[in-house]
Amino acid sequence: MSEFLYRRTGMVFTEAKRFYVERRVVERMNATASGSFASYFAWLRSDAQGEVEHFVNAFTVNETYFYREDYQLSCLTNELLAERLRVKKPGEAIRIWSVPCSTGEEPYSIAIWLLENWPKVDEYEIEIVGSDIDTGVLEQARGGVYGKRALMRLLPPVIEKYFAPVQDETWKILDDLRQSVRFTRVNIVDPEETRPHGQFDVIFCRNVLIYFDDASRRIAAENLYENLAPGGFICLGHTESMSRISPLFEVRRFADAIVYQRPVEGVNG
Amino acid sequence: MPLIRKTPDPLSAAPPDLASVATAFAHGTPEERWVAARSAHDIPGSARILAEALIRERNPRVREAMFTSLACIATAESVEMILPFLRSDEAHFRTGALDALRAMKGTVSPYLPQLLEDGDADVRLLACELVRNLPDDEAARLLCALLEAEREPNVCAAAVEVLAEIGSADALQVLARCEERFSSTPFLLFSIKVAADRIRS
Repeated sequence: MSEFLYRRTGMVFTEAKRFYVERRVVERMNATASGSFASYFAWLRSDAQGEVEHFVNAFTVNETYFYREDYQLSCLTNELLAERLRVKKPGEAIRIWSVPCSTGEEPYSIAIWLLENWPKVDEYEIEIVGSDIDTGVLEQARGGVYGKRALMRLLPPVIEKYFAPVQDETWKILDDLRQSVRFTRVNIVDPEETRPHGQFDVIFCRNVLIYFDDASRRIAAENLYENLAPGGFICLGHTESMSRISPLFEVRRFADAIVYQRPVEGVNG
Repeated sequence: MPLIRKTPDPLSAAPPDLASVATAFAHGTPEERWVAARSAHDIPGSARILAEALIRERNPRVREAMFTSLACIATAESVEMILPFLRSDEAHFRTGALDALRAMKGTVSPYLPQLLEDGDADVRLLACELVRNLPDDEAARLLCALLEAEREPNVCAAAVEVLAEIGSADALQVLARCEERFSSTPFLLFSIKVAADRIRS
C-alpha cells in the first residue's frame, strides 16, 4: 500500500507510519463500503469512481500553520530575493504568490518572515498574493483569525507583534498586515484564471501538484511557468519534484532548500 | 509598512482558431508559438497541425507545450500523431512522446499490445514503461507475454522492472524461463532476481 502511494504521489510512508496509514485506509474502506482490504485495494488500483484521488486526499490533509517548512522562507530571504533584486528595475515591486494559500497561513507567514528577517524589507515594495480554488478558505484567509494550533511555531513576541487576541486561544492578524495580502480565487490548471495574476518573482506552490493526474500536472506546470518572471523561482512541497512533472524548469540547489527556476530568456526559449 | 497590495491589469486576447494557430506555428516568435501550442487543444481538428509543427519545432519549451496539448486532446487521433515520435532518433522527441502518452492513460491502452510487438526494440522498451499505467493484472499479462518471446535483454529488463512493482506470483515462472534464456546476461539475471524476490515477499 505504501509503495502504491509512493508511486502515485512520491510520498514515502515507512513502517514507523503504519498506524497513520492503517487509519486512513480503514476510513477509505468504510467510505467505499469495501468488505475487505483486498476488495478495497482492487477498487483503488482500478481507480473506480476516482478513488485514487480520494485516497491521496486522505493522506494529504490540508494541515497548515504559520512558518510551515520555514527552510524555504530562509531560502527566500537568504538567497532568492537577492538574486531577483539583481534583475529588478528601480521601483519595480517584488511579487510573491502563495498558491494554493488555503486559510492564509502561508502568505501571512511570508509577510511576517520578511518583516522579521529581511533587512531590506523597507527598501522595496513587496506584493504578496494568496490564491486558492476554494472560496470558503479564502474568506477565512481574509478574516485572518487563527487558533493556537496554527500559531504553534511562532514565538510569543512575534504573536504579540502581529496578532491581537480575540478570545481564548484565538488571535487575529493586525489590520495593517491583513490588508497587505491580496486574496484571489484561482484554479491553477486553468490558464484563463492564472494569466490575469501576472508574473511573480517567487511562487510558493506546495503540496498541490500531487493531487493532479499527469495531464493536469503538465498544464499546471506550464501555467506556473507563465506566472513566473524569467529567472523567477518556484518552491514546491518537500515531497514534490518538478523534474518529474516538466522539463521547463531548472533545478537550483541552495543551502536552505532545493527550488526550481524559470530559465532566463534565451536559455530555454 | 512596505508590503503593498494592488490589482494587476486584466489580460485579454481573441480566442484562437485553427488558422491563427497554424499561422503562429509557421511564422510566430517562440512566445507566439508557445501561446498557440497551449491553446491548440481546445480547437477541434488541431492534432494534425500540432504534430506537423512539432516535427519542425526546435524550441524545447514550445515542443513541451505541443506535447501537452496533444496529451490533453487525448483522442485516438492524437495518440496516433504522437506514436511516430517514439521512433525518433532524437531523445527529446522520444522522451516527450513517452511523457505525453503516459498522460493519456486510457486512450493509449488499446495501442499497447501492438507497441509491445513492434519491430523496433526501442519502441518495445518504451512501451513497457507505458504498460505501468494499466491495471496491474492486465499489465502483468502483457509483460509476461512479451518476456516469453523477447530477444532483446534491454527490453526484458524494462519489463522486469515494471513486473517487480506490479507482478504477482503468476509471473515467477515466466521470470524463471527468461532467466534460463539469458543465463549469460548478468545484469538481466540480477534484475530478475530482484524482481522475483520482491514478488515473493
